[in-house]
Amino acid sequence: MLHYLMICIPLLGAALDIFDVLFTPLGRLIILAAALVGLVAAVRRPSFSLCPQLARSALISLAGAVLTFVLSTQLNLGAVVASALVGLVGAQVLQGQDQVVLYLGAFVGMSSTLRFPSLAPLIVAGLLGGCLFELTDECWVGVGGRLGTIAATAVVIVLVITGGGL
Amino acid sequence: MLTLLLGIVIALVCGAAGFWLRQHTKLSVVEVSALLALVAGLILPRVFTAGGLFALICTAVSYAAMCSNKRIKSYLDMLTVSFVCALIIYFGQNVLVGVGGRLGTSAALSVLIFVLISEQFRPDQAQSEQGVKR
Repeated sequence: MLHYLMICIPLLGAALDIFDVLFTPLGRLIILAAALVGLVAAVRRPSFSLCPQLARSALISLAGAVLTFVLSTQLNLGAVVASALVGLVGAQVLQGQDQVVLYLGAFVGMSSTLRFPSLAPLIVAGLLGGCLFELTDECWVGVGGRLGTIAATAVVIVLVITGGGL
Repeated sequence: MLTLLLGIVIALVCGAAGFWLRQHTKLSVVEVSALLALVAGLILPRVFTAGGLFALICTAVSYAAMCSNKRIKSYLDMLTVSFVCALIIYFGQNVLVGVGGRLGTSAALSVLIFVLISEQFRPDQAQSEQGVKR
């Protein structure tokens, strides 16, 4: 059950953000501790294996994140339109789980330039999003918004490490 | 207050549209969600002063519409989730600003709240579902 901690990180982050402590040392410690415990629990599950699918998902998610971020910020389409375009086009090009992972990456790419002033942390968040998709495959199955929550988990973890932006 | 009411109405329309698309077309969940978000993102900001917020609400509702048929079984279920989702987006505008996935998190939260509440009102169904799982 501890691996559920990972997918709950955005909710934890939101609660901390309401009290303005998310990017304080205490908030960062709480998020990183939750992420670490969740990660260890997820990796120790019997069903987990370090298969090529993990790398594949990470790369597809990265592509979705970068494409959306570029469309949103460089072409000024806005995050909503950019992610929707990436999702729609991805659904025509990719099959099955791949289109879902690309859409997850698109959610990562909806982040603001104030949070990610450069591409490097976004790339890390994109890769992390794909990995987390595989690590949390048993969590919240069939719940709408699950992909966005996984994306937010990746973004929050990266922001907590890099300082939070803004 | 008017913004909230209008946001709720738009969320309900979007939720119903999403559910209809899921039930009556062969579009994948990603296509349904992206289509709704695209239409909302292109039209609403040009029509309403608070169109940006309404587009966010619709986008979040479109994510909630990605629920499986086991989680959301009817239009009433979807409308309830859409209502909760609109409230969360409206009152949570200052939370996790600029964080990608925020809308999805709000959508997931609204679905989870709905599931918890519906299990309180329909304990027999919840128990029978648990029985099936076992």
